[in-house]
Amino acid sequence: MGFVMDGLESEAYDRQYGDRELLRRIGGYFKPFRGRLALVAAAIAASALSEFAAQVVISRSLDAAAADSGAARLILLSGVIIGFGAVEWLFNFARHYLSGRAVGEAIWRLRSDAFGRAMEHDLSFYDENPSGKVVSRVTTDSEDFANIIGLVVDFASQLMLVIFFFAYLTRISGRLSLYLLAMAPVAALMALGFRRLARFVTMNAKRVTAEVNARIQESIAGVSVAKAFRRERSLWEGFKDDNAKAYRFHLRRGIVMQLIFPVVALAAGFGNGFVAFTGGEAVRDGAVSLGQWFLFMQAVGYFWWPMLNIASFWSQLQDGLAAAERVFSLIDREPKVRQAGSEALPAAVAHATRAEAAATAGTVPPDRPARGLSVEFRRVNFSYSSKETVLRDFSLGIRAGEKLALVGPTGAGKSSIVKLVCRFYEFQGGELLVGGKDIRSLDLASLRGAVGLVSQDPFLFPGTVADNIRYAKPEASDEELERAARSLGRGDWVDDLPLGLATPTGHRGSSISMGQRQLVALARVLLKDPALFILDEATASVDPFTEAQIQEGLETVMEGRTAIVIAHRLSTVRFADRIVVLERGRPVEEGSHEGLLAAGGRYASLYDTYFRHQSLDYVEASRPEA
Amino acid sequence: MSHDSTEFRSGEARRYDLRSPARWVLSHVARYPWLPILALLFSIGNNVGYSGIQVLIGRGFDVLAAPAWDRAALLGVALAIAGASFLQGAAGIGRNLSFEFLAQRLERDARAELFESLLGKSMAFHAGQRLGDLMARATNDVHFLNLMFSPGLMLIADSALTTVVPLVMVALIDPRLLLVPCLFIAALFITVRAYNKRLNPLTDEQRERFGAMNAGLADALEGIETVKANLGEARETARFAADAGRLRELYVKVAKTEGRYWPLLAFAVAWGLGFLHALYLWRAGQISVGQAVGYMMLYNAFRFTTFISLFSFNLFQMGLSSAGRVLETIKARTELDENPAGRSAPIIGRVEFKDVGFSFSGAPPAGGAGVADRGGGAGMVGAAGAPGEADAAGAACIPGAAGISGESCPDRPAAVRGLSFAVEPGQTVAVVGRTGSGKTTLARLVTRVFDPCEGTVTVDGVELRDWNLQSLRSQTAAVEQDIFLFGRSIRDNIAFGRPGATEADVERAAREAQAHEFIMGFEKGYDTILGDRGLTLSGGQKQRIALARAFIADPRILILDDSTSAVDSKTEDEIQKAMRRVGRGRTTFVITHRLSQIRWADRILLLEGGRLAAQGTHEELLARSDDYRRLFARG
Repeated sequence: MGFVMDGLESEAYDRQYGDRELLRRIGGYFKPFRGRLALVAAAIAASALSEFAAQVVISRSLDAAAADSGAARLILLSGVIIGFGAVEWLFNFARHYLSGRAVGEAIWRLRSDAFGRAMEHDLSFYDENPSGKVVSRVTTDSEDFANIIGLVVDFASQLMLVIFFFAYLTRISGRLSLYLLAMAPVAALMALGFRRLARFVTMNAKRVTAEVNARIQESIAGVSVAKAFRRERSLWEGFKDDNAKAYRFHLRRGIVMQLIFPVVALAAGFGNGFVAFTGGEAVRDGAVSLGQWFLFMQAVGYFWWPMLNIASFWSQLQDGLAAAERVFSLIDREPKVRQAGSEALPAAVAHATRAEAAATAGTVPPDRPARGLSVEFRRVNFSYSSKETVLRDFSLGIRAGEKLALVGPTGAGKSSIVKLVCRFYEFQGGELLVGGKDIRSLDLASLRGAVGLVSQDPFLFPGTVADNIRYAKPEASDEELERAARSLGRGDWVDDLPLGLATPTGHRGSSISMGQRQLVALARVLLKDPALFILDEATASVDPFTEAQIQEGLETVMEGRTAIVIAHRLSTVRFADRIVVLERGRPVEEGSHEGLLAAGGRYASLYDTYFRHQSLDYVEASRPEA
Repeated sequence: MSHDSTEFRSGEARRYDLRSPARWVLSHVARYPWLPILALLFSIGNNVGYSGIQVLIGRGFDVLAAPAWDRAALLGVALAIAGASFLQGAAGIGRNLSFEFLAQRLERDARAELFESLLGKSMAFHAGQRLGDLMARATNDVHFLNLMFSPGLMLIADSALTTVVPLVMVALIDPRLLLVPCLFIAALFITVRAYNKRLNPLTDEQRERFGAMNAGLADALEGIETVKANLGEARETARFAADAGRLRELYVKVAKTEGRYWPLLAFAVAWGLGFLHALYLWRAGQISVGQAVGYMMLYNAFRFTTFISLFSFNLFQMGLSSAGRVLETIKARTELDENPAGRSAPIIGRVEFKDVGFSFSGAPPAGGAGVADRGGGAGMVGAAGAPGEADAAGAACIPGAAGISGESCPDRPAAVRGLSFAVEPGQTVAVVGRTGSGKTTLARLVTRVFDPCEGTVTVDGVELRDWNLQSLRSQTAAVEQDIFLFGRSIRDNIAFGRPGATEADVERAAREAQAHEFIMGFEKGYDTILGDRGLTLSGGQKQRIALARAFIADPRILILDDSTSAVDSKTEDEIQKAMRRVGRGRTTFVITHRLSQIRWADRILLLEGGRLAAQGTHEELLARSDDYRRLFARG
């Protein structure tokens, strides 16, 4: 069957669960509804019993009619048949309703768990796994998982009928019942043979689906670029290949799935012929009555139905199990960032440094207590992947209340340092102390609550500007929010927004400019009022008019706080107490702006690279050759 | 309003009937006419086989009930049953495969059609869409189309035939026996319809809420860094749980509706009555006992119809409502004015604004008289739906953009107003002003992402609307604030700017953008794959690659919207020098914060609140504008 085995790469975090393990996990999600599911089982049994009873009544009445009983009796029998049908209907409703509630609840739980885990994963997970694929695990796969229960319920009700029939028919004729029974292994074997295949092609089909979806997502995200260069065709070509591949794999799966049913049906038909004949001989021998022969013939249908279904049941079950497997492997994958303890950053640590902070940062306003946070890297090693090391033996101490500027060429590890402080990534060696405590021992919420990060490319949620600012502090009042927003510069930026703070931000902030997005992110952090500010080129896209105003505002706001600033502007560098120059993940120089400049080392050359061109002297001198 | 114009056509996909979801689906099916025909024939064969078995069982009953034992006759019946089974099975395989091929092709084609139409939509459209919603349509909904055919339509066709074929068989036994089955089918029809009426709104809502959940989920995961930094995990989890919770409620509602399946009751009644009828006729000597049994056996087929129509109609409904949504996206207004008859000539580069005004809401994003919705960004290198500065209401201008050019701007706050200036070929213009002052809007008016609602924008003396869009776009390029790079190699990303670019072109462009060195620093150099599965670049690196992508296109008008903000100033200085060298004669608009770029621009436009506060050379502005003076007063 090579055609369905063509290799497709597996997700790194896929794992094969044993069926028992998988079923146990699934069962766990239904445990809270044991009672409800028991009722479902009872309803299934009852409706199956009604249907079975109706058939028996028919078979009996055939014999009775042969014996020439009265018309009244026949009418009664018909009424009984209808009555059983009504009962069946009633229980069928109960079964749907109860299992619907249980399944709906279970999907909800599974989704919530998967989502919760997705939230727990550190950023290295999202570097490796495109969010589109994670999304499909949480939504689509969890729904496919839910189908399992519907299937099991349906299958159980069919099986129940088989059991009733079999129990009844064995009492009539053991031999004929054995013939019926002999068909089961044939059907079951055929079905099981398909099982592995089904599971395999299903896994593959799902995976190409994820691939083509990721392709579509990327294409839609990049459609503006394609339009810019009139290169829509290039996206089209890429998509076309993926789409064709998806078609091939889906078709393979489809063919496998579609063959199962009719092939088994074929076998069933032959069984029908066989029972008709052997049953006929039994009638001749007087072993069974005509009505009973009829019942046997009906039983073949009832008997084969679940046997036929066993194949599609299996394959659909495999769909569900494969989906469940994917969701569970998302849930079970351990986040790399793990906290060994849950110590809170004690307020004492934050406040103890007030004097120190006051010394470094000037006078602290009496109404805002200083609560800087010290940070210390001790011989830290860090890499995003096993390939390249970003930080090697990195050591750096930042005092509480200190304003530290990190400068260095692109790729020197500046952003990595602040991401470690935010605990977005796990580092591989050394120690990182925040507030004097091992970062691994801290309660993550306590740590992140004390850190305010503004990154180069701030993410905004769909909603309004106000919603996004409030994200840092949901309980903030409107006044507080407005104050935070207005404390950036003179607050003019708020007035420049078409609808002020109520301006919608659009998808990923697309409705406002990059500079405005950074201002929103800054306001978000100001509202949070953290003990440690981390500004990663936080005003890179803000216009110079506003930036000059912001700088003053920030100096006030950050008084007494610790700040790590990845600098991109001369003005930012000057504002720092200390400048650390990084190169290839190592601090190579540190000191004040003047001191470092005078030293004529790396900083001086970096200054030449990054900042000199910003000085007015240079600007004046840089007249382009005509 | 035709749907003929689109910004992209693959030339491969067929045209389909877009008038209604059903017609649309049918026109898809019509591409493979022999598949449904085969499917139908096989279905008939399959059902004849199945019903044949039932009737044959009845005949067996007669054989057995006959006073004389006839072994040969019994064997004959048994063999006939086996033969009918073979027919049923073989035809079943044919039927299933026909439907499967049809369904898979339909999914493939519909996905391609949707994808193509998305490529053809203007930027204005994309700016107003949530990625997650579009994704749900392109993935889930398209897949439901597949399920609608296999197994949905297959089962419907099957249940129709499983009704019709047995009816024929019943008629062959005794036409009078048709009475109860016909009543039953009428009852089935009514109850199934009523059932669908109840179910439809629920499934529609289910799909919609699923899309909403998907979109919310995608937002939370894409913004994971922000979520974590702000301790938003619990809130996001709660929000998601609420979204998923609404779906759970719907799930229960659907189950309840499904459980109240009246056709099942109708069947029970019909079965009982049919039984009575058959026995009556038999006792009256009108039919044989075997015929009565055969008749009863045929009810198995009706039972199948009863059960399966629940499932198949459900799938069919979901498929149709999915088709409706996919179609809605495909049909979303894409009218625009490619203006193929417009001016098509090398651009010299004189750009003039005459009293230009533009406002977002209600303004035609672009397009000539009566033609709305352009956008798309001539030469934009922005990221996904990243319209940038101040087009908060950008999305609002897509539907019903009824404005006609020349009409005065609607009564809305204008993004820009009264802009008048002229740029000579080869000049470099610095556009400065506070965030939100209309800089990006101005730039987008130059590249005809937007059309002004007041005044005119001309290039080389010809109004932009009168240019051939293809000609205009191929000669303009813009690098926007947000950079989007594809998950491909660096080489492919740069070469994206010019189809057929050679290795040397790519490298030259990379050198000009000061990107060559860092690219060569990667292990695989230009073959380094970017993005999710590859390398993550820094902001400055991304910008330089985007610059190279714009440079390689060698545009006559280049717009740089804050596109070197993350590049260090020395590198940026080098880029500027390269641009001056290479781009001689190229008209360049620079939206920048870099003083050196502003200082030496040929002309500076100072925007304030959407109006031109001042314009002129550096010296002129120093004399005229306090704001401008302040900018150069610090250091």
